Amino acid sequence: MNKNLGHHWPVRSRREFFQQAGSGLGSIALASLLNAEARGAALPMPHHKPKAKSVIWLFMEGGPSHVDLFDPKPKLNELDGQPMPESFGKPITAMGTANNSIMGSPRKWQQHGKSGLWVSDWYPNIAKHVDDMTVVRSCWANGLNHVGSVCQMNTGDILAGRPSMGAWVTYGLGSANKNLPTFTILLDDKEPVGGPKNWSSGFLPATYQGTQFRQGEVPILNLKPSDSSDQRQRNKLGFLKSLNQQWSADKQDDTELDARIQSYELAYQMQSAGPEAVDLSKETEDTKSLYGMDKPETEAFGRNCLMARRLVERGVRFIELYCGSGSGWDAHNNIEGNHSKWCRASDKPIDGLLTDLKQRGMLEDTLVVWGGEFGRTPFNEKGNGRDHNPWGFSMWFAGGGVKGGQYIGTTDEIGLRAVERPCHVHDLHASILWALGLDHVRLTYMHNGRGERPTIVGGEVIKELFA
Amino acid sequence: MRLIALMLGLSSVAALWAAESLPPRKEFTAQQKRWWAIQPVTVTKPPQAKDRAWGTNIIDAFILAKLEEKGLHPNAKADKITLLRRASLVMTGLPPTPEQVQEFLADNSSHAWEKQVDRLLASPRYGERWARHWLDLARYADSEGFKSDETRPNIYRYRDYVIQSFNADKPYDRFVKEQIAGDELYPNDPQALVATGFNRHFPDEYNARNLMQRRQELLNDVTDTVGATFMGLTYGCARCHDHKFDPILHKDYYRLQSFFSNTRIEDSARLASSGESANYKNNYQVWDLKTRVIRDEMAKLASLEVAKLDKENMDKFPEEIQDAVTTPAEKRTPIQWHMYYKAKPQLSHTEQEGAKLLKGEPAKRYALLKSELKKFDAIKPAELPIAQAMIDNEAPGAPKTFVLRAGAYDAPLEEVQPGFLSILDATDATITKPNRLPTSGRRSALANWLADAKNPLTARVMVNRVWHYHFGKGIAGTPSDFGVMGEKPANKELLDSLTANFTATGWSLKKLHKQILMSSTWQQTTDFNANAAEVDPDNKLLWRYNRRRLEGEAIRDSMLAVSGKLNDKMYGPGVFPPLPPGVVTRGGWKNEEVESESNRRSVYVFVRRNTRYPMFEAFDMPDTHESCARRNITVTPGQSLELMNNTLVTQWAKQFAEHVSNDEGVSEDAKIDRAWKMAFARTPNTEEKKKAAEFLTKQTALLSDGKAAFADLCHMLFNSNEFLYIN
Repeated sequence: MNKNLGHHWPVRSRREFFQQAGSGLGSIALASLLNAEARGAALPMPHHKPKAKSVIWLFMEGGPSHVDLFDPKPKLNELDGQPMPESFGKPITAMGTANNSIMGSPRKWQQHGKSGLWVSDWYPNIAKHVDDMTVVRSCWANGLNHVGSVCQMNTGDILAGRPSMGAWVTYGLGSANKNLPTFTILLDDKEPVGGPKNWSSGFLPATYQGTQFRQGEVPILNLKPSDSSDQRQRNKLGFLKSLNQQWSADKQDDTELDARIQSYELAYQMQSAGPEAVDLSKETEDTKSLYGMDKPETEAFGRNCLMARRLVERGVRFIELYCGSGSGWDAHNNIEGNHSKWCRASDKPIDGLLTDLKQRGMLEDTLVVWGGEFGRTPFNEKGNGRDHNPWGFSMWFAGGGVKGGQYIGTTDEIGLRAVERPCHVHDLHASILWALGLDHVRLTYMHNGRGERPTIVGGEVIKELFA
Repeated sequence: MRLIALMLGLSSVAALWAAESLPPRKEFTAQQKRWWAIQPVTVTKPPQAKDRAWGTNIIDAFILAKLEEKGLHPNAKADKITLLRRASLVMTGLPPTPEQVQEFLADNSSHAWEKQVDRLLASPRYGERWARHWLDLARYADSEGFKSDETRPNIYRYRDYVIQSFNADKPYDRFVKEQIAGDELYPNDPQALVATGFNRHFPDEYNARNLMQRRQELLNDVTDTVGATFMGLTYGCARCHDHKFDPILHKDYYRLQSFFSNTRIEDSARLASSGESANYKNNYQVWDLKTRVIRDEMAKLASLEVAKLDKENMDKFPEEIQDAVTTPAEKRTPIQWHMYYKAKPQLSHTEQEGAKLLKGEPAKRYALLKSELKKFDAIKPAELPIAQAMIDNEAPGAPKTFVLRAGAYDAPLEEVQPGFLSILDATDATITKPNRLPTSGRRSALANWLADAKNPLTARVMVNRVWHYHFGKGIAGTPSDFGVMGEKPANKELLDSLTANFTATGWSLKKLHKQILMSSTWQQTTDFNANAAEVDPDNKLLWRYNRRRLEGEAIRDSMLAVSGKLNDKMYGPGVFPPLPPGVVTRGGWKNEEVESESNRRSVYVFVRRNTRYPMFEAFDMPDTHESCARRNITVTPGQSLELMNNTLVTQWAKQFAEHVSNDEGVSEDAKIDRAWKMAFARTPNTEEKKKAAEFLTKQTALLSDGKAAFADLCHMLFNSNEFLYIN
């Protein structure tokens, strides 16, 4: 029977193997593969030559206002205080604000770089990098509220339960550094809405889920040795190995048991590799101030940006940095105060990150993604804020083969809806995967009788994103 | 196409695919009609095997026949210790105690094994173990999910109901009926109302804005879960179009959904008996009279603020929802009733919420009254137990159900009535409204159809699930997908024979367990056989028993049991064992203050939907957002870190060590012996004893602390493969 129908696509042998594992071949085969990987067997092959080795996703959680940052709309100021003209089509909004009057943008706008892309005065330092960026101004998504929209930006669906993009990437490409988790999440003080669901492996095996790097010297849960000395732990693990080898003596066929023995060696290595990766003491003061770590308002996000660079250097493939985790950017009122704070917190650190990646020659194979789960409405909320806008918003991409200094798509005259070249979240996902050498329709996993893929049943690679 | 969708303001992705949905199929093909899973259960006689000496019951006859067809022979019987440890872990999720092992070893009677099987089946630990399997299927959680992940304070009664049902060996057909339509079929049984919680376990967001969409998502969840759990079918694949592989029509998805179209959440369903209720009423009246003046004034003080809060939310709703709320009850249409019930929680701010916004004099006055009211707490009766259930709306009739174009809630196609799989029965289901009950009777029709012994799916699916949990793999390898993309049964004659016997013996799960446990097939060793592995590498024909890792819950319970700290108290609200430092949860996690409460069995650990308990999550606990029939089994360094460095595990290891030396004298040799018996149910061999003694010497020298060294040894026994695996 031909199984490659409908949602099913032909795949290469290794992933096909995994699909089989998912469809019932069972844990034994899966484990033997994990074991092979643990033993340093070749990593899975990408589908095509990758442009990027790693992704750094700068997630501005809560929804930054595109019409105040990257998508200037003179019409907004013209219509300021008036009801939205019917022709734009009234949407159902999160806070029922669609009858509210249009609110102009008080921002000062300027064109930057050779390309002349517009950036507002909220992002003066990031503006220096426009010639390395593609700004997609016609993004759109399905969710009205934070939890569904953050979930969709991570997993493709507004309902929780699907694997996060980082999990798909880990599944598709394996890990380039066995001693560190290859999908990592960095937060500021709070959890994003929906919590760990956002970096879940969903129906993929737990092996592929994201790992939250926590603040402090011990970034991963249970990474701190419970033993008073290294020698003590090594003695214990030596004894454990002898126990396990004894038990396995007449079970040589069972590779899962071997994999488990291996996993203790990996765990032991991680105990030192993890803290080393987040130890910034070897970084110079110049580097730290480049990321804004010398100023209290930029210290927190600057630290995470610098950490992200160190993780990329160590082969980590997918790093998500939340700025304003827990809906920080959610400016239903006083957008002036809210966005001033978060823009200040992220402007210098992101400038530092892009500068540093570039000067170290890392930007060309590191894809940097900036954006929130949606943008904000042209009409006001509570007089001085803006409501959620999933119908049209901006995200930008830099490095990792992305063409510099260009726009993709437009929104309507007031920035409410994407009109030209609308790019759905699935398209963004397909493009990010494509940069890493993965084809979103061929990256499948058998689940409940369907060959599931990262983009569900949609998605197209935005080809013009890349040089 | 996208632009059009945008212009129309369609908000679902699925709407974009509308044009690509397939035209409905008219006729089922002969091949579809031959689909194995929908054929009647047929009992065949097992062929005569060559090896007449092997085998105890009919299971073995069918297994042996298939093996002999391939020139294979089953493995030998495992030794008594292996068997008892295996049975204890499979049936109760706990290792046997050294005393239980001793008793079994000493019993040379011909019924020795059967006695152990009966003992395990009678143990309350059995219900706790097997309820956990069912909770995976039911996507059970103690919280809502989505953003705020609030606690569902009474949903634990469903978990307890499942445990009680397994322990009481409730007939499976009744178990099914109660969960689908307990409120309609058994209106006088409070437990049957609790059972309807099965369909209430969907993740939910009470303060959603787009309520039509939310309602559709919930109905989809219920449809998918019922289809998967009771029928073993991937109904979900037919949400947007005819199923691509199985004869499940696009229409069939909505026919099944239609049985539930009139349901709504009922979170304050009273469970008390009429006597208890009357008593409560009397006491309440006394308190009510004495406090009315105070409470009236309090309510009045807060009323403006409450109204303001309600209005704020009301204004955020689109007009159609506002209309549904403001339309007088007698004029509300069925769908308006549903919108009303969905909107209501957002328009029901409490007096306390309003009072929080009071300022100045009114705030002071309110606080004073509140302390006055508190003085009457002593005579206020305790709240009666309530359940979180799924019942029918009292509205006049169910809202219409439509086939949805590409699954989009706002793209209705033809209207459908409740109905079963068209390939089995293409007519509309006969719905009988129950007498004197404010309910439609729709779900009763579905429940009765499912629980009919002639239904080709229900019993087969459950028998196969039981087999799956016994062997690590079902006779059909995909227990919730009996479709074309699933695995065909490796031994359909066996599955059918077991199924027929199951329904003929009153749908008794305990009888089925016993039949399986008494078989020689179950009692084989896990030993490797190169020849057999060549012919049947996946052991589909069961030439050996499958070795497999325990689940996280069973690992934790086993450690607690061996350390002597397991608290076997049953039932009640979820417990909160300590979280590792640094883990925060939205919705709250208050670590238990009393250690013994933390040490309850894992099935009682609170399931916070957005933050699974980290130890369980590391060991592949499913994520509770959809029904899970088969857990992944992974090997990760995170699991090793969990067992190496989690301070709870090291604490249990210490307690294990104390347990060992408290029980038996002080000789090191005896201690090693005892530790092995407790962890592995066996004595160590000479080589192991030597290695253990060497380790203790080395570690004692390093730490200058013999006790700590022994705790380290115990810690590594917890980490060993032998401890973590069913063999």
